[in-house]
Amino acid sequence: MSSEEHILVISPIGRLDVDRGFVEHLGKEIRAVFGYQTDIRPLLDEKDLWADPVRKQYHSTPILDTLAMISPPEAIKVLAITKVDLFIPILTHVYGEAQLGGKACILSTYRFSEGLAPAAEILRDRIFKEAIHELGHTFNLRHCRDASCVMHYCRGVGEVDRKSNQFCRYCAVLLQDEMKRLAKEPVSSKQ
Amino acid sequence: MSGAKILVVDDELIVRESLGGWLERDGHMVDKAASGEESLEKFEKTRYDIILLDIKMEGMSGLEVLKRVKEIDPDVSVVMITAYGSIPSAIEAMKSGAYEYLLKPFDPDELMVLIEKIRKHQAERRETQFLREQYKERTRFENMIGQSIALQGVFDLIESVAPTDSTVLINGETGTGKGLAARAIHTKSRRGQGPFVVVNCGAFPEHLLESELFGYQKGAFTDAKITKKGRLELAHGGTLFLDEVGEISTRMQIDLLRVLEDHIFYRVGGTQPIEADFRVIAATNKDLERAIKEGTFREDLYYRLNVISFTMPPLREHKEDIPLLAEYFLHRFAQETNKPVNQVGREALDEMMLYDWPGNVRELGNAVERAVVVGKGPRILPQDLPIFRPEYVSSAPRRTLREVEIGHLESVLKETRWSVSKSAEILGIDRSTLYDKIKRYDLRKPS
Repeated sequence: MSSEEHILVISPIGRLDVDRGFVEHLGKEIRAVFGYQTDIRPLLDEKDLWADPVRKQYHSTPILDTLAMISPPEAIKVLAITKVDLFIPILTHVYGEAQLGGKACILSTYRFSEGLAPAAEILRDRIFKEAIHELGHTFNLRHCRDASCVMHYCRGVGEVDRKSNQFCRYCAVLLQDEMKRLAKEPVSSKQ
Repeated sequence: MSGAKILVVDDELIVRESLGGWLERDGHMVDKAASGEESLEKFEKTRYDIILLDIKMEGMSGLEVLKRVKEIDPDVSVVMITAYGSIPSAIEAMKSGAYEYLLKPFDPDELMVLIEKIRKHQAERRETQFLREQYKERTRFENMIGQSIALQGVFDLIESVAPTDSTVLINGETGTGKGLAARAIHTKSRRGQGPFVVVNCGAFPEHLLESELFGYQKGAFTDAKITKKGRLELAHGGTLFLDEVGEISTRMQIDLLRVLEDHIFYRVGGTQPIEADFRVIAATNKDLERAIKEGTFREDLYYRLNVISFTMPPLREHKEDIPLLAEYFLHRFAQETNKPVNQVGREALDEMMLYDWPGNVRELGNAVERAVVVGKGPRILPQDLPIFRPEYVSSAPRRTLREVEIGHLESVLKETRWSVSKSAEILGIDRSTLYDKIKRYDLRKPS
């Protein structure tokens, strides 16, 4: 399978706080950033997710495992988007989770509406930045200290609003290296 | 700052994996251990910056692990992870040296802020340690002390001069540390393991200096019962330090010049030529160029000695070193005399800074030694210092340096009942310098 045949799957889980038109727009934006064709395929529904009865939150790590397992063979990466609140056991919550250098990542919009309800445009901007951020992790990128880089870890939506939707020069080089490495790898070894 | 090396210790797989994954995405290098025993095995082999340690585990508890890792490496930062019910254990862990504890589940931002705080703290600690070592190294150059630009320049010069085998002439007033500089050059040279032989040329009459330098053969003169090696021979493989070289007689200058040319000499009364390999460092407080003009010092010897030369700055030109020097002398003499003096009082330090120290560092050392001996409390007070004269302060603006010096000389001479030796010791100058000053200022012993 050539790199041209690879797709990047965007998988909304259940109903989102944004319309389908935005998800399509997000697909185009993501294609412009990573260079892969994007496809919108709902692979899971909210009812498929397991909610912790005490915490009333969803554990993100098993969701990623499931997504990686059920994603189509042509999918090089899968980005799930959900409006439910996510957690990993030791932390109170996570904004998203990704398999570092792996296939799947997930983004929750639950905490993007903290404080005053943001304008739709602001909410979309936050989703776009954090979608690139989580996908960046699947391309083996770590958090970046540059506060304007999209890979910067944000403590709250204020910082998300302040950072750009671009990779800094350093992260951009690392991303290119990883994409070149993936292009050389035999298809069977790709996650 | 690059990522930290973190060890996650928890007996729950899901915690290790999720926390480890989160930390890896944050750019850290993560290792995981499923038990206290496994964590110690890993810690024996690898040094971690941070350990995230669950307090309650099967087998060895987090508290036991904490105590063991702190024994191995007291600098490692350990963060205890605890459930609400284990807070007393977490407090106990803090007492045992844990950096912090986190109550699970914790906010990811809280974890991130804590890791950043630990990393910053570790970087600062390393920097402080580095600066402390560098400061110690730079303020204590061999046995020389000073952080002023003037002395740092001297230290740099010594560093560059030491590896060469060239003859060095050190100029400078009495008490400025010419001897210490010579020893530092020797220590840092390739001859550092060899002997450092000092000849105080001003301390010997001509005939004695000759036998001191060249040695003598048994029977060379009445008292020569045995053959004795001279200091030139003793300096073989090392450095010969000719202190107060300006005091050497004209005849001895000729002999010395010959030795410096070929390093071959004869013992007094000897007939066998002796060859010795030594480096020469000479020091003087005299203006040798003026002595050449006056005909008291040989020009050829001067050029032979003056291959590389530098001047030790007088203390009045690097007064910023006085607090550091005073502190050094204070601790040294307090230890030697076993007296509980541990501080130079501010007023005493002010006095020291106002004074010009004609006897330079040696005089300062003597003054502090005296203050330690005569002082009554834990602090050195102005009245403990031999330089302290209340009238100096009140009359200083109207008195010239010459007047101040005369007044001080008279006062010290009066105190010692005109004992030149004792006065020279208090003033930190040698006797010949004091005689010069007595003559120059026409000071007379009261009848």
